[in-house]
Amino acid sequence: MELSIPLRQKQAVTRRHFFGQAGLGFGALALQSLLARGGKAAGGDYRIPAKAKSIIYLHMAGSPSQMELFEDKPALTKFHGQECPQEYLEGKRFAFIKGTPKMLGPQFKYQKHGETGQTLSELLPGLASISDDVCVIRSMHTEQFNHSPAQLLLQTGNPRLGYPSIGTWVNYGLGSENENLPGFVVLASGGKTPSAGKSLWGSGFLPTVYQGVQCRTDGGDPILYLSNPSGMSREARRKTLDAIRDLNRFEHLNIGDPETLTRISQYELAYRMQMSVPEVMDIGKEPKHILDLYGAQPGHVSEAESAADPRVLYKGNDPTFANNCLLARRLVENGVRFVQLYDWGWDHHGSSPGESVDETLPIKCQQIDQAITGLIKDLKQRGLFDETLIVWGGEFGRTPMMQNNVHKELKKGFIGRDHHPHAFTMWMAGGGIKPGSYGSTDDIGYYIGENPMSIRDLQATILHQIGIDPHRFSFAYEGLNQRLIGPTEEGRVIKEIIS
Amino acid sequence: MTMKFCLLTMVLVFAAIGDKDVAADEVDFNRDIRPIISDNCFACHGFDKDARKGDLRLDQRAAVTEDRGGYSVIVPGKPEESVLLERVSSSDPDLLMPPSDSHKKPLGQKSIETLTEWIRQGAPWGEHWSFVRPQRPTVPKDASHAIDHLVRQGLIEHRRDLASQAATHTLIRRLSFDLTGLPPDVELVVNFPQTPAEQDWDDLVTQLLASPHFGERMAMWWLDGARYSDTDGFQSDSTRTNWPWRDWVVDSFNANKPFDEFTIEQFAGDLLPDASPEQILATCFHRNHMNNGEGGRNPEESRVDYVLDRVNTTGTLFLGLTLGCTQCHDHKFDPISQRDYYSLTAYFNSIDETGAAGGRAKPYLKYKSSYAQRAVDQAAELVKQTESHLAAMQKQADKEFVPWLLKQVVRAKRGFRPWTVVIPERMATTEGYKLRLESNGIIASSPAAFPQDDFVITLAKPELDRISGLRLEVFPHSSHTDGKYSFSETGEFILTNVKLLLRKRGNSQIQEVALAFAVADVNGVGVDSSYKTVRETLDDDPRKGWTTRTKPSDVPHTAVFALEEPLVLSHDEELDIVLMQRSLAPRELMGQFRLSVTDQRGAAVRSLKPMPLELLAKLNDANLKSDAVESNIDGSLRKQLFSQFLEGHAAWKEAKRRNDLAKSQLNSAKKSAGDQSVMVLGDRKEPRNTYVLERGVWNKHGDEVSRGVLPAVLKRSAEDVATRLELGRWIVSKENPLTARVITNQVWQLFFGAGLVRTPADFGLQGESPTHPELLDWLAVEFMESGWDVKHLVRTIVTSQTYRQDSSVSAELLELDPMNRLLARGTRFRLPSWMIRDAALKASGLLNDAAGGSPVFPYQPPGVWQDQFMGRFVYRPSIGQAQYRRTLYAFWRRTSAPTFLFDSAMRRTCEVVPRRTNTPLHALTLLNDTTSLEAARTLSDAAIVASPKDLPKRFEFLMMRVLSRMPTADEAARVLLRQYAVAKDYYDEHPDEAEALTTVGQLASPNEEVVADVAATMLLANLLLNLDEGITHE
Repeated sequence: MELSIPLRQKQAVTRRHFFGQAGLGFGALALQSLLARGGKAAGGDYRIPAKAKSIIYLHMAGSPSQMELFEDKPALTKFHGQECPQEYLEGKRFAFIKGTPKMLGPQFKYQKHGETGQTLSELLPGLASISDDVCVIRSMHTEQFNHSPAQLLLQTGNPRLGYPSIGTWVNYGLGSENENLPGFVVLASGGKTPSAGKSLWGSGFLPTVYQGVQCRTDGGDPILYLSNPSGMSREARRKTLDAIRDLNRFEHLNIGDPETLTRISQYELAYRMQMSVPEVMDIGKEPKHILDLYGAQPGHVSEAESAADPRVLYKGNDPTFANNCLLARRLVENGVRFVQLYDWGWDHHGSSPGESVDETLPIKCQQIDQAITGLIKDLKQRGLFDETLIVWGGEFGRTPMMQNNVHKELKKGFIGRDHHPHAFTMWMAGGGIKPGSYGSTDDIGYYIGENPMSIRDLQATILHQIGIDPHRFSFAYEGLNQRLIGPTEEGRVIKEIIS
Repeated sequence: MTMKFCLLTMVLVFAAIGDKDVAADEVDFNRDIRPIISDNCFACHGFDKDARKGDLRLDQRAAVTEDRGGYSVIVPGKPEESVLLERVSSSDPDLLMPPSDSHKKPLGQKSIETLTEWIRQGAPWGEHWSFVRPQRPTVPKDASHAIDHLVRQGLIEHRRDLASQAATHTLIRRLSFDLTGLPPDVELVVNFPQTPAEQDWDDLVTQLLASPHFGERMAMWWLDGARYSDTDGFQSDSTRTNWPWRDWVVDSFNANKPFDEFTIEQFAGDLLPDASPEQILATCFHRNHMNNGEGGRNPEESRVDYVLDRVNTTGTLFLGLTLGCTQCHDHKFDPISQRDYYSLTAYFNSIDETGAAGGRAKPYLKYKSSYAQRAVDQAAELVKQTESHLAAMQKQADKEFVPWLLKQVVRAKRGFRPWTVVIPERMATTEGYKLRLESNGIIASSPAAFPQDDFVITLAKPELDRISGLRLEVFPHSSHTDGKYSFSETGEFILTNVKLLLRKRGNSQIQEVALAFAVADVNGVGVDSSYKTVRETLDDDPRKGWTTRTKPSDVPHTAVFALEEPLVLSHDEELDIVLMQRSLAPRELMGQFRLSVTDQRGAAVRSLKPMPLELLAKLNDANLKSDAVESNIDGSLRKQLFSQFLEGHAAWKEAKRRNDLAKSQLNSAKKSAGDQSVMVLGDRKEPRNTYVLERGVWNKHGDEVSRGVLPAVLKRSAEDVATRLELGRWIVSKENPLTARVITNQVWQLFFGAGLVRTPADFGLQGESPTHPELLDWLAVEFMESGWDVKHLVRTIVTSQTYRQDSSVSAELLELDPMNRLLARGTRFRLPSWMIRDAALKASGLLNDAAGGSPVFPYQPPGVWQDQFMGRFVYRPSIGQAQYRRTLYAFWRRTSAPTFLFDSAMRRTCEVVPRRTNTPLHALTLLNDTTSLEAARTLSDAAIVASPKDLPKRFEFLMMRVLSRMPTADEAARVLLRQYAVAKDYYDEHPDEAEALTTVGQLASPNEEVVADVAATMLLANLLLNLDEGITHE
């Protein structure tokens, strides 16, 4: 779309006035012209030098057990099978634990790996092979112990619905690098979207144009309404759009509203997306050695997609997550700012079949370990690792005690742990993160030992790495300057994990 | 708290673009000063006593000017002695305010100058404008319209006047959309006087206000604010039946129920003397919040959430206050304490509710809707129609049966083979069992230690043209445990799932082929009794499956699976038959089995009995003479053969499908015509105690509080406002300074795209000041004094010249006033997405404008609900006329709002700020959504009927329908004609594509001779429906 320079500037000025309210959105074009005018889109000068250009956030919905993956606790093994001391139970709320549960030692073997001496369990051999590339944070804690609010707090900074997700914030603050693709893409695997649903990638009070676009990978349109109707070829669509453009130009000549020009450019962008989205989503174009690196299988239809209850899938070879990891690389390679992956099926209570720490967790690990290892190796060999921030984790941790509401004694296939907000493990890699470890927990992994890292700290650190000052980055809404990290100053950038 | 850079930027920009030079003129506290100190100082020196620093508050004049031991923050008249100015302009970072660790920028030069000038003028203070009761400003008697007079006042200093009146057709269209949410009838536009007199406009407004669609249009506004939805929200997202309340809202607007009554009934209809069912129904307003039924959640926590939601909704929708801020602490900007907030919650804290969700969210009202019968009648009519169509198809099928039967006879005579054994192209397993092919197509597995596995048998190049069924035989063998079926301890087998996966060779795409039915010779009972019948293999749940345990164990067993649709395997395709054996019983896997396929449909693959064709083949030749065959076969065989024939009859099957859907639609319509459980208000016997909740946490009880209203808004004693009913009356008290302004502002926003207060949800100190304070007050007073007459308010607004202005804008005016704050032109904004859908239905003639009743299901792409809920909810678009109802009546699932509304309120919490996007996603929806396309096809049909030959006339018809005007010469010749010609040529050459394009929604394809013309005209209609002009409030 060619616009005369003064007009385009006017368009940008007009947009800029709209920034104060949530009522209007606009595409990358207008945003970029705006950013070219000083980068003050939202709350003033919030841009800082960036370590990362894009983010791949791997969320394990349901929350994996840190006790079986990252936390080697000999003391817990020692107390294994004994009743949990009352001091850990008094005044605490659990989702499902009742009465006095038994302590549950780690179910898998641990070993130290690499130059950093990273302690990892046998369930993550792939991650072990690249352990010198990641920073494991064992001192995460949160305020919420139910899935939906905990996921919302983690992803939107607020346990209630209606707040913008971190991907939306980043997309709003920085825009997309590729004007043919959305700046914030969501991919789900494991047969189900997370408990909190679409709100996790919603725009809240920010303009809707920045919300996450969920790309479906189950064979339908990757984006709703993307395909032309049958009987309408791409050429026919082009001609229709030419006519729409011509008539809209008449309209603009008559009325003079810059919004009409934006409309023309958005229809053009839609046309380009019809081409670029299916293209980037087609991992079938990747060579075999790359597919094998991730364990990806193009075109696979996840059986869990239609499962009545995917928790009972005992299969280890579901490649949906691996496919999504490969897609994530293709997306960031093409300039998408924020790629959010959700993998469902990590809620291992042990109360019904197919959700145990001893049998299901190894299967889930098998589904992700090679894929994540492949992703990191692939990013490295393409020189993208340093500019891509990777974040991995659940919404909280799992208890050092065994969950006891169904099976009071240890039973194979039914060993599980309840939700645990007081301490859990996440890891980050790439994007200016210093490999190693941060923080620790007490002897049995119940409370934080040293260097606690809160959800707010995590959010602040992520924004910092992508080039946004988390304290200055805000949006005026309902009388407040709303921020991802919340109204108080408690969120800190954790400098110790930054290289 | 960081400062509001963007608001500050805007203040400065507006100061710069032509507002009077603030520093030199008289400084207005509310307009010029309060925003500066509110943004920069109040976070630490404001109303919130807990956040206050240095024991200093700057939100009261007395505190600011008091002697603080030899100095004052402000000395009126003496800028040089005022410490405030020293601190905000200091070069010492330790002294500078706001301090750097607050992440706020130092004040700009302009702000400092403004503050200096204000202090020089004596630092006059003013109460925040919205907390002062509105007074009606004087309007000269000779002013033609008060609104125009007050808007012109603001234009004088810019030496401007109102823009000229919009073109007549534009104005008719504008009024029609604004008052009914629909475009005008073509006849109305054509017959309207060319140079209308005032009376003509008056009459039109009267007519539109009297339309039943007025209430529907206004209800859409109210439903967004009331967060109305047909489901609970959250993970379980159960369906609720609160829709009679939605109809009550429509009726109330149509009956022009005074807004104070409307409000009081929604707050406390249940407490009115001799409350009618409708008055109780009204209180559903305060039950429209989400319900959380998540496992492990404490219902009391949910209940507290609902109470808070009611207060927050009241704040946003009626008072324009951000009360949510005071959940955790005193308001930082507005004079509302946390205690005030919780006193307000006390009115809603004793509802007889438990916090439960789903069908247990009492209190309920049993209510029978008077609108439901119409849907029953319509559905019954549809059942009749589809039945007679089905009968006609059956008749046609009857005629085609004998020729088909003769073909089958020929086949039977050649020697009919019911099942063809599968000779695998490949065999594989997931975990590691080894499979080998023996004689007769029997496949055998070897003993292994894996507890579970999948057997994958790949079939390629089958002998059959198509595959409609699959047979599995499981054999006992002496090598198995006890000579039964497997090597496991028990010798039994359990088949948990059967899947068919279609794959193109050399391509990675895999498609699942659906199975419709399964039947077996015997069904046993497993040790785990979840393992029983063969039907259990059709879902994805490995906790269920097929076993023959408890049945004879020394004979082969057989199962037959029917495909939903026959599969035609092309030469480059392969079919994976996956036999999943993932039960909890270890190693119970088939030791010997055989697979076969068939091409027979219907009864043939729905039982293990001999297939109809098998029976046919057994008849002797004498009975198979072609002229007498039908009469020579016996009744039951004929029936079987006929039903098999129908299975393959596409037209009959489609008729059957629609008939089935119509019947189920009738069933649910009947259900909706009975008593509906509507969530309403009702107090419990024992009132609950109410507490301040520390940091807003549901069980952290602070001080106990009793009921009380917000003193900063309108002070009333606790005795005066003791009940929920009195709270409702307090909201609409004529002394309440907020409600009339806030509501008037929202109504204004409906017609101008933006309110007179541009922050409709915030009339507090952090909100924007009105663009036209006197106009807002005049309207608010007029509204109250008219007896809260909504139609009068609307009429007053839309009969002004301000409303009627042309919306075109010169570059100069755009520069001066990009956001149209001066109202020197008509506002142009994109129509709400629901209105765009309704407009397409109306313009095409598809619209079914029936009122009220249970929700309907407009088209959505397949899979949207299933993906999100693992198939727990399946979206079935309505059929028949129910498909074309107004969007107001569309089913609203909270976790998955209707996809065709590409931007809209979320209906999760109260929203009064319109969401309006301009994105590629909205372009894609309007281009490709089925409603859009079906409307285009319908328009095309109508245009061709109206003008079969004359193309320019046809274009005129389309333009009038979609845009309410004639095309210009340029549009017609340079664009439409060219586009039509290209499309027509293309579809002449590609009739298949023309047929594909035009077969859309519930419409069959047009006949061959006209299909290219219909398709080309449909393309034109599609593009017109996408024009900026068509989807914009011009």
